[in-house]
Amino acid sequence: MTDRLRTDVGGRIAADGEPLIVMRNVWKIFGARQAEALAALRAGAAGKREIAERFNCVVGVADVNLSVDRGEIFCVMGLSGSGKSTLVRHINRLLEPTAGEILVGGENVMAKSPADLRSLRSHKIGMVFQNFGLLPHRTVRDNVALPLEIQRASRQKRFDIAEEALEKVNLAGWGDRYCHELSGGMQQRVGLARALAADPDILLMDEPFSALDPLIRRQLQDEFLSLSTAMGKTVVFITHDLEEAVRIGDRIAVMKDGMILQVGTPEEVVTRPEHDYVRKFVADISRLNILTARSMMVPVGEHHLTEADLAALPSVRPDHVLGDLVEIAAGHSGDIAVREAGAIVGLIDRTAILNGLKRKEAS
Amino acid sequence: MSEISSEDGLVREFTKQGADYYASVFARIRSHAGFTWSFNWAAAVLGPIWATARNIPILFWLALFFETLAVAQLATGFAGNLGGEQRVRAERLFKQADERRVEAEKAKTAGESSADSMLRSADGLKVAAENAARQAEAAEARGPMLIGAGLLTLLIGKLLVGVLANPLLERRFNRWRSNRRLRHGFHKAGALLAAAFCLLAYGLVAWRVAAQAPPSWLTTAPVNREWQGIVAATLDRALDGLSKSGDAVFSAITGLINIVLDTAASGLTTMPWLVTMAMIVILAWQLAGNRVAIFTAAALAYLAVLGFWEKSLETVALLGTSAVLCLIIGIPLGIWCGRRPAVYTAIRPILDFMQTMPAFVYLIPVIALFGIGKPPGVIATLVFGTPPVVRLTALGVQGVPTSIREAAEAYGATRWFLLTRVDLPLAAPSIMAGVNQTILMCLSMVVIASLIGAKGLGEDVLNALQYAAVGQGLLAGLAILLCAMIIDRIVQSTSLR
Repeated sequence: MTDRLRTDVGGRIAADGEPLIVMRNVWKIFGARQAEALAALRAGAAGKREIAERFNCVVGVADVNLSVDRGEIFCVMGLSGSGKSTLVRHINRLLEPTAGEILVGGENVMAKSPADLRSLRSHKIGMVFQNFGLLPHRTVRDNVALPLEIQRASRQKRFDIAEEALEKVNLAGWGDRYCHELSGGMQQRVGLARALAADPDILLMDEPFSALDPLIRRQLQDEFLSLSTAMGKTVVFITHDLEEAVRIGDRIAVMKDGMILQVGTPEEVVTRPEHDYVRKFVADISRLNILTARSMMVPVGEHHLTEADLAALPSVRPDHVLGDLVEIAAGHSGDIAVREAGAIVGLIDRTAILNGLKRKEAS
Repeated sequence: MSEISSEDGLVREFTKQGADYYASVFARIRSHAGFTWSFNWAAAVLGPIWATARNIPILFWLALFFETLAVAQLATGFAGNLGGEQRVRAERLFKQADERRVEAEKAKTAGESSADSMLRSADGLKVAAENAARQAEAAEARGPMLIGAGLLTLLIGKLLVGVLANPLLERRFNRWRSNRRLRHGFHKAGALLAAAFCLLAYGLVAWRVAAQAPPSWLTTAPVNREWQGIVAATLDRALDGLSKSGDAVFSAITGLINIVLDTAASGLTTMPWLVTMAMIVILAWQLAGNRVAIFTAAALAYLAVLGFWEKSLETVALLGTSAVLCLIIGIPLGIWCGRRPAVYTAIRPILDFMQTMPAFVYLIPVIALFGIGKPPGVIATLVFGTPPVVRLTALGVQGVPTSIREAAEAYGATRWFLLTRVDLPLAAPSIMAGVNQTILMCLSMVVIASLIGAKGLGEDVLNALQYAAVGQGLLAGLAILLCAMIIDRIVQSTSLR
């Protein structure tokens, strides 16, 4: 029964290449008079303040469009109240949008019957919460096996899969403990194991590491990164911490007041902010791990060096980051060559490296 | 600088009238750490009227209290019938003494033997009359004193109101700053209403204390015995109608309860007492451990040796039936209330009614509908015992963190799964407390239920009450207490695990 259901849902999942999650013109307005408020907002007749006063409504998400590719880690970054947690809850329809379209694996989530929606949630989407959301009266193993229990898997299967998931998050042997006996970091590992237990395609991470202390946070970020890449999960990762977004995300969406201000790779967001708000945010971020050799190099055609000179230069790949270049420049005073597939494609001089280190917008 | 002027603007917007005065007073209050002494003349003079206009209820009541007291004292002092009663009595006594003396003189001249004693009683009457006259004088002398006291009360009241007015208004201002919907400014309509009320109240109070013979409508509230009779008779008829038309339903309920009760009672009583007791002790040991098992054995021995065994079993059967019914009704109702605040709002007054209405009041209609005996006893117990489990279940279900429910929902949990695997386990401690409360409530109701023929241990207590048999009553009461403790300890221990 369970297996049949599984293939049923799996068969309809979109083919590779297409985005796995698509949101089109999604609006979420909280309040009894949301339809009127939406009409006013769409007509551009009212601001956030007016909506609150006239209709007693709060805007959670405002006209959001985004698509997340299969295997991508997509970070949504914003301060509290920016609507990022509200946004992510639309993907598995924990919240109903006021307007808009949401596709997961090519299927319209809004069109699903309650049973289909539950099946989607238990098979295809795992979710991790800021405050863990674990059941305190259950053991770690029973918590991890919750999605399988909801899928009505046999006890033995639950047991095996839970153990497997616990091993992945380095909690092997803790299955018989109760959740309250564990530290915060360990509890969030349990949360992660629970999200992985049903082997879903998509992980929704709602500020998973915000409640943890910095050292544990770092450690869990690293573990999570290697785990999700190894398992090929598609991740929507919510955070209020730009450093975290930059470390983890393949792409970052910056949110404010329910709107997405900019979407791009960490390098794009940091080096080419399109909005004053984003500019203020990225001003203080370290570029050492963000700027790539490709973006800093001068294409080789514009230099007039001999082949022999070029061959003598230290070389890097285009995806090496500023930090690597600084290390090389520390022991070598000349230019650095950028090689791609054996051929030299560009050169980087010391000025470019020092400019990159300066914490301001690279022009 | 701009901050100060905006602050000033706020005070202006809040006070509307007398803004300059309040701006400086509030600034002074803000700059002091402790209480700031100031005197608001308007508040002192106008008292309750000012307090109403400025929306400070506490000051209204303070001012009203002192002013009413002062009005009563002043009115009594100026125009009150001070010592009036004593004076009348003194006059009557003087007259009686004079008459007695005349009679005594007559008897003496006639040579009767009673003359001496009559003379003595006339003297006694005179002394009493003089006493009364003295008391009347003393009471009259209290007049100026009362006037003084009234003036003093008025002064104290005015001083208090004047001193408290500004700090209280400043506090109201601070509350208004964070909630602009609060009423502010000088509320003229309110002031007029308050003035009218004060005038009327003070006038009536003064009249009541000053008048020699106040009219009866001033001293007693209007009673209409006829209406009371009509309404009560209507209720009687309604109940009669209900008991006639719903006879089939009520006798069906009675029959059902009887079947359950009989099964429970016969199950308990047909078993040899030794077996039953052993079973209870074993149960206590398994669920609650050694100490409770020993206590249970001792309590059972008491019940058996002092002759309460059969009655205890009857009581327990009654209690068990009632409690189980309470839980069957109460827990689902509590869950519903916990999930739907609107339902809880609707049901709460009914629960209040069930808990506060004296049992004797609803025993009467219960008898009318269900007759006497055990089933109405169970129903009366049901009325009393259900509210706690409903309340505590609702409380427990409300207390389930939304984050945990959301997590379960995010993994596709059905509503049944949420209820049975999330809500109920997390609410279990609260629900168990409710179960415990309900059981104890039911047991306390058992005594009262015996009034309508529910038998059991309550019957013994009732008999002891009727014949004033103190010892018997105490023994039976102790038996009920022991039953309650056994059940409570066993149930509580399971809730703790």
